Amino acid sequence: MPIDYLPILVMVVVVIAFAAIALTFSALTGPRRPNPSKLSPYESGMPPFGSARRRISIKYYLTAVLFILFDIEIIFFYPWAVLFRQLQLFGLIEMAVFVIVLLVGYVYIWKKGGFDWD
Amino acid sequence: MDLIVFYLFATLAVIAALGVVALRNPVHAALCLAVVFISLAALYVLLSAPFVAAAQVMIYAGAILILFVFVIMLLSPGVDQGAGALKWQRPLAAVFGLALAVELILVLASAVLPAARGQYTPERLAQIGDVQAIGALLFTDFLLPFEITSLLLLVAMVGVIVLAKKRVRS
Amino acid sequence: MPDAQTLTLISPELLLSIFGLLILLVDVIWREKSQSALPWLAILGFALALAATLYIWGSNISLFAGMYMVDMFSLFFKVVASLAGILITLVSIDYLRQRTPYRGEFFAIFTFSILAMMLVASSASLLMIYLSIEFLSYTSYLLTGFLREDKKSNEAAIKYFLYGAVTSAVMLYGLSLLYGVTGSLNLTDIAAAFSATVDSTVRMIALVSTMLVLAGLGFKISLVPFHQWAPDAYEGAPTPVTAFLSVGPKAVGFAALLRVALTALPQWVLPAPPPAPVKEIPLVLAVVSIITMTLGNLIALRQTNVKRLLAYSSIAQAGYMLIGVVAVNLTGNSPFSGLNGILIYLFAYLFTNLGAFICVIAIENATGIVEIPEYAGLVKRAPLVAALFVIFFLSLAGIPPTVGFIGKFFVFGAALREGWLYLAAIGVINSVISVFYYFAVVRQAFFEAPKDATPIRLAPLVTLSLVVSAALVLAFAIYPQPLLNLAAWSMGMVK
Repeated sequence: MPIDYLPILVMVVVVIAFAAIALTFSALTGPRRPNPSKLSPYESGMPPFGSARRRISIKYYLTAVLFILFDIEIIFFYPWAVLFRQLQLFGLIEMAVFVIVLLVGYVYIWKKGGFDWD
Repeated sequence: MDLIVFYLFATLAVIAALGVVALRNPVHAALCLAVVFISLAALYVLLSAPFVAAAQVMIYAGAILILFVFVIMLLSPGVDQGAGALKWQRPLAAVFGLALAVELILVLASAVLPAARGQYTPERLAQIGDVQAIGALLFTDFLLPFEITSLLLLVAMVGVIVLAKKRVRS
Repeated sequence: MPDAQTLTLISPELLLSIFGLLILLVDVIWREKSQSALPWLAILGFALALAATLYIWGSNISLFAGMYMVDMFSLFFKVVASLAGILITLVSIDYLRQRTPYRGEFFAIFTFSILAMMLVASSASLLMIYLSIEFLSYTSYLLTGFLREDKKSNEAAIKYFLYGAVTSAVMLYGLSLLYGVTGSLNLTDIAAAFSATVDSTVRMIALVSTMLVLAGLGFKISLVPFHQWAPDAYEGAPTPVTAFLSVGPKAVGFAALLRVALTALPQWVLPAPPPAPVKEIPLVLAVVSIITMTLGNLIALRQTNVKRLLAYSSIAQAGYMLIGVVAVNLTGNSPFSGLNGILIYLFAYLFTNLGAFICVIAIENATGIVEIPEYAGLVKRAPLVAALFVIFFLSLAGIPPTVGFIGKFFVFGAALREGWLYLAAIGVINSVISVFYYFAVVRQAFFEAPKDATPIRLAPLVTLSLVVSAALVLAFAIYPQPLLNLAAWSMGMVK
């Protein structure tokens, strides 16, 4: 029932309100005495260099895709786990077939070095 | 009450979807996409499908969006500069898109989809639980699509290695 | 729980899944040592799947809660799929050797794409149709972009993918409307829901959603205006994959189109007795067919790359085949039901177009030539290939004594029977136009002087598949009875 999700809505509202209040309140009341080192992105930290919009390695892409694939696999596990007793042996066989196919994929990725960073 | 929530999230979804298409900065477009995904999850909750809503947040907002952002970082495309070589393409696309939209609105506004309701009413779902309902169907009637999905995922795994993996030792 | 009978009925699909997995495993475990065995493992898989299909020949049963039909119609396409698999694997062996280190993956993904073809052919529920078409699409995108180092292959895959993603989204929207209006995913239940209602808005929604679904299927079949990906994808893809793209997705695209049209929407598609006006869906399809044939043929006239030429030619061929869908009429016992025309045409087109592509592969493998002007004097360099080119082009143009003629005969015959006179006329005119560009290639090959007269050496496997396809093109033309019977049996379906 949608009403069960009221706490989430309340939390979203509280989060937004908190952020808004904290920002406006400090902006209104805080003293403002800027100097160059205070205005740098990381005060007392490393000065940033280069652009943040540089190209990253395709290796991240590989990781992200593999993550999605196994994420989808897990989504299928959840209803299966909930119904495990009801589905009996057949459910187990079904899931075994599903997992074996993906396991072949897992072995394949492993052997091809898909989990190595280099 | 439900109706208010529906219109709230439906409006949010439409506006954010327009943002995905219209915003020139790809990172902003990706953020709008996150809003679309989460609004859709809220709509699924309204439809008494919390499992689908959770899957939507986990897979789409959680994983697929990250992939989009990775691809944006991978290509670092900068800001879209507007129409390319084919200048007449945009007006033409607008005309055809508008025609399709009018057609769909005319057809859909005139009809309440008259399909018979299935056996899973919101009350029944609340009683047996929607995960149980999905699981009971997925692992019996929809057995074949379920197993094919695993092959589809396997092909995707092989594909990503073939297309994106740096040359393997061989 | 699927029993032994169900498992037997899906044995072609099971075999292909197992062989696909096996190829992957053998490849990662034995690596180099297994490389030369992998294609043969794939061929063994296709041969066993073909044998399994013939073993369950004649079944007519729906499985998995009505989601999956094992009937003669789907078995026909399974035969087509396995044969295409065997022929294309045979010609890929030499082609891939120098071009990619991922040969094991190629044959595994290719096995899965043939599996996906079989799944599409049997799908009888909107969910299965969508899932299996996506499965086929993903494998096709991968195979198209398989040559990672080759920019053209990358470009081809990106274009193919973007086009496919958009059309599949449009199709999904259409499918969701169909589901929303009927409350069922099952094609027979959808037909029942449609015939139970007289609401005129339902009719509108049925029409609109059919048009949206047509976008996705039209992309697979490469109908205008969903054809733009084809020339670039065909040109850039590894040539054996191009051969596959030109027959595989197209054939099962027609299978899905026919299945949806005849099982779910018969009352919007099948003609009513004469005084009634022509229905909207056949009318739209007729217009699409005319544009597809004409545009494909006219643009083909200007091509200089033989792969692009065959791409436009295969767009035009899709237009001819669509005539069979427009003119489909299952009443009575006529030999021109439209449906059998498409099946005969598809079977003819399978060998003819594969044959033409194998000719291209034979020459590309030995010399790297794909531009038509460089085909000059081919008859002196590779007389067999040049001669067979003529046979395949005759068949593509629909000139007897080739099997292509038989296909066109039955398709155009159905159009005449159903009173689509202008459609048949435009089809014939287009066939005449197509002769010009087919024979531009032949003219180069036979009547121009070669710049380089060194003979082209053909790989034995390629020669074998060439001769087999050519023999089938001629054999079915001279003795078409088995082909006609095959098509006639396969129609005992769709109900």
